[in-house]
Amino acid sequence: MRLLLPGWEGNTSVKWLRRLELGTRPWMTRWETATYTDPLANGTARQFSFEMDARSIITSPAHPETIERGWRSISGLAWSGRGKIARVDVSTDAGKTWQVATLDEPVRSKAHTRFTHMWEWTGNQTIILSRATDETGYVQPTRAELMRVRGAGTQYHFNPIYGWRVMPNGRVFFHGDT
Amino acid sequence: MTPPCHPEGAIAKRFATEGSLSRQGSNSLGWTAIPQSLRSFRMTREGRPGVLTMTRAGAIALILGCGIGGKSPTPPTSNHYDLGKAATSADVAARDVDVGPDGAGLPAGSGTVVQGTAIYAAQCASCHGERGEGKLPLYPRLIGRDSIAEGFPFGKDARFVKTIGNYWPYATTVFDYVRRAMPQMTPGSLTNDQVYAVTAYLLAANRVIPMTATLDSASLSAVKMPYVDRFVRDDRRGGREVK
Repeated sequence: MRLLLPGWEGNTSVKWLRRLELGTRPWMTRWETATYTDPLANGTARQFSFEMDARSIITSPAHPETIERGWRSISGLAWSGRGKIARVDVSTDAGKTWQVATLDEPVRSKAHTRFTHMWEWTGNQTIILSRATDETGYVQPTRAELMRVRGAGTQYHFNPIYGWRVMPNGRVFFHGDT
Repeated sequence: MTPPCHPEGAIAKRFATEGSLSRQGSNSLGWTAIPQSLRSFRMTREGRPGVLTMTRAGAIALILGCGIGGKSPTPPTSNHYDLGKAATSADVAARDVDVGPDGAGLPAGSGTVVQGTAIYAAQCASCHGERGEGKLPLYPRLIGRDSIAEGFPFGKDARFVKTIGNYWPYATTVFDYVRRAMPQMTPGSLTNDQVYAVTAYLLAANRVIPMTATLDSASLSAVKMPYVDRFVRDDRRGGREVK
């Protein structure tokens, strides 16, 4: 039996559920205070970052795949803790330009949404990225933007644009420096 | 009619029949069998399916379980899935050990910093270090008020190490966590007096309370942690702004 809390950070969906205790105020337990709080650059710590900001990842192509030249689909998953995914943009030139990806049905609130985008790889080294926008208008940020607003010490609840570096020989490697 | 148990129960029963699941062990599927003593809840069909019967108003503890093995399942009654049994007040009391940030739920008893120093050395230091310096990454640093990490700099650089003294917002959390989870290999083995004493030692070593202090429910409730005012509620609400 598992607790399921749609839209909230995954570790609140507790596995092997044995007990539920209902209370009228937070217990300020060790993990939710000492660990999962988010220290910010302004000298405060954000408490109870339960809701998941919108995020997307490209699941294909992905490491350790080696891709061939020609047309193929880029596909992945997007989600938001605040509602439906409104759109996903895909860049195949390291973020210089973006194209709107196709969202596969069903597109449901707080649920994984599959996206696809057709791409012709001509053999050049490049970086492919995905960027989700949810129905509140929130746009998935770059890593640099997140670090700028939260501070360099931010660690948890991290939802930056990540992608893959495609090498001239077709090999695919993780790219997180956005 | 309703099924007597969830699918996990059916799996467990099959394993039990084949003799490959002990009554209190775990199988390769990660399903943990629950001892008879903990099977003490009941699911009701009154209202909507799957609603758990509440055993107490206010703070409620429910013990979840699922019958396995042995005799064939009892035919369900019209209103129940016939899982487990109602939690007794003793069942609830044994697990109702949470402590709130205002001290609600703290038990009777007391302990001194001196007593806690000895208990820490015997029960905690092998993992957390003689001076609470920790053994990262497995065993967190507990004690530390280094001037470089004062003033809540953690948002600026992830390399600043958080300790009880330079980060934790509530002293009651120390008591609650030690009592339910420590020592790691024998949680629950410390008496309430010993937990008060270890809590006193950790707070004194972090320069939150004096080395001469004695902690009980009243004095622990009154402890204010140095940086509690730095904690702010989540203000992310979606929309265009990244926070």
